[in-house]
Amino acid sequence: MKIQNRDALTVVVSGLVELVAANSVQVREQIRAALPATVLNLDLDLSLMTFLDSSGLGTLISLHKTLRSRNGTVRLLKPAPNVLQVLSLTRLDRIFEISK
Amino acid sequence: MNSEAASSARREFRTSLRLKVACEFSAVRSATLVVRDWLAGNGLPEADLGGWELALVEAVNNAVKYADDRARLLPVIIEISCGEHDVEARITDHTAGFEWPAEVDLPDTDSESGRGLFLIKSLTDSVSYLRSSGENLMVLSKARAASAKEVLPDITELQNRLADTETALTEMTTELASSYESLVALFRYSSELGAHTDLKDFSQRLLKDLVQIAEADCAVLRLISPDGKRLDTLQVLPSSENISLPALALAGTTVSVEIGAARNREDIWFGPEEPLSADDPLRAVMPVGHGVCHAFYVANQFVGTATLGRLMADKPFTAAQVNLLHTFIDFLAIQIVNARLLDERTVARVTRRELQIAADIQRSLLPAQIPACPPFELSAACQSALQVGGDFFDVIPAGDGALLLVIADVMGKGVPAALFAAVLRSTLRSMPQLFDQPGELLATANRTLYPDLSRVDMFVTAKIAYLDPRHKKIVTASAGHCPLLVWRPGATEAEAVGQTGFPLGIEPLTRYAQIEVPLPPGTLAMLYTDGLSESRNEAGEMLGEQKLLELFAQTAVQTTDPHGGKKFLLGQLADYCGQATLADDQTLILIRHNS
Repeated sequence: MKIQNRDALTVVVSGLVELVAANSVQVREQIRAALPATVLNLDLDLSLMTFLDSSGLGTLISLHKTLRSRNGTVRLLKPAPNVLQVLSLTRLDRIFEISK
Repeated sequence: MNSEAASSARREFRTSLRLKVACEFSAVRSATLVVRDWLAGNGLPEADLGGWELALVEAVNNAVKYADDRARLLPVIIEISCGEHDVEARITDHTAGFEWPAEVDLPDTDSESGRGLFLIKSLTDSVSYLRSSGENLMVLSKARAASAKEVLPDITELQNRLADTETALTEMTTELASSYESLVALFRYSSELGAHTDLKDFSQRLLKDLVQIAEADCAVLRLISPDGKRLDTLQVLPSSENISLPALALAGTTVSVEIGAARNREDIWFGPEEPLSADDPLRAVMPVGHGVCHAFYVANQFVGTATLGRLMADKPFTAAQVNLLHTFIDFLAIQIVNARLLDERTVARVTRRELQIAADIQRSLLPAQIPACPPFELSAACQSALQVGGDFFDVIPAGDGALLLVIADVMGKGVPAALFAAVLRSTLRSMPQLFDQPGELLATANRTLYPDLSRVDMFVTAKIAYLDPRHKKIVTASAGHCPLLVWRPGATEAEAVGQTGFPLGIEPLTRYAQIEVPLPPGTLAMLYTDGLSESRNEAGEMLGEQKLLELFAQTAVQTTDPHGGKKFLLGQLADYCGQATLADDQTLILIRHNS
């Protein structure tokens, strides 16, 4: 996983392959640690992600809530069809800004 | 039509996979990837693979989530089976489990958890969750996408399939019927077990039912003898006075399938192709036809052999019938072993009770108080070993301020020994006129007790002492008992005074010599039983007469009154024995002449 600052307001996370019960808590904490109060937007590049489960969804929602409190957003970039399917089955595709 | 096709016509052909997954999140993904590959290998389309993968991940995650420390040690088991039309997965875990919600809905969008069950439900056609104590089972199933094209078989093939199905049905019905009969029989035996403790009767009825259900003509049941050397015959069916099967020595030279089965722990089949050898004792019961001999075990212990025979040459036993033999006999084996355990436990209980009775008798024989006999002071003790022996002592007023001291050891343990001690006590007490003549007293007691003692091969060692305060002396006589130990003031060593003589119960007309020992002021004397000199330490070494004599001399020097002396001496003996168990009763009477 790679965490970079695109600019003062936006952090980009990429290289996540799986977001599942085994790593969801750790990933959440690592990303949170990289989000100082000045950061408003988080772009999660999901192009390499092959698998997402309900624990992973929990991490996405937690990050979403953190940034929403700052009036910011979480954007999900280029999710694979199966990842998108999980999001749409659970109707979370409505709360995230998804960029294909 | 080949046989594989026949089997698929009979019932739907399914393949299955079973995986044990460690109960931790990090193990879940690799396991579900294995399942995914396996499903792909079974032709599941890509669209279905993703769904199954996610459903399984959620199902196993759920199990891991509810695991406590104990459950984490047990694996989660994934069993997945793939048929022509559907896929079914069973996930078994050993956790506390969870309550399946009445409605499986999505939580609020802000909730960070609670979507797993919804995903499982959305991705499968049916979900059931069975929760029980210590084990939970989740069953998921989903129809497979219809295969491209169903090829209709021609009419001949359909007819063939129908015929196959009918044959299969007949086989299954027969199998089911015999299973049903055997189940009913076993249930009946189980319910009768409480009432029926006669193994011979019980095994006979069980064997009769087995012969009938397995369509056999005859049967032989043998059990290993208690010493493990022979096979004893318990049952021969049909029972006939003309047929008797002698016991078989396991190490013998007799050629026998029963010995073969017992030695090699295996079933041995025999029949027209492989007949019983000419001198096999089984031939008396099963001269022709087919048979199978089953050696049976409980907890790896060989219990016996059971042989079924059928006298028709053209009908060997089927696998299902041999299975019946195993089921019935293994059930019987457990009953046999249980019955033996029950016996052993009963014996142990009776023995415990007997020891208690013996201890009660022994205690009741001991004098409650020791009469005074100035200038002599006395102290006595009788310590029982775990296995109650026949030690006892008595102190009886003998007129003129004198005392009769008795110390005895009945050879033997338990109630019989205690009873003889009681008889000896009253015999001696019934002859006060002989109290001042210990030798004569012993001879008379021996004549009285001899018939009873010799009948049961028991004997008694005893020492009798007449303690005479007027003449400051002790007169003793001994029937094979330990010597009198005496220490006189100023002496460096103690002295063992005594004679042996036959114990009571050996010779009816034995005469016993008397010895007079003066007891001047300060003297310490002791009567004792061999439990003292034969005390053993933790290494198993015996104390011995000489060491006891030394301990006695120390006691005399270091203590002034016999109560203190008794405490000192018993303390020394306890130190010597350490953690070793008391093997024999220890009894002593100490006599001190107070100056």
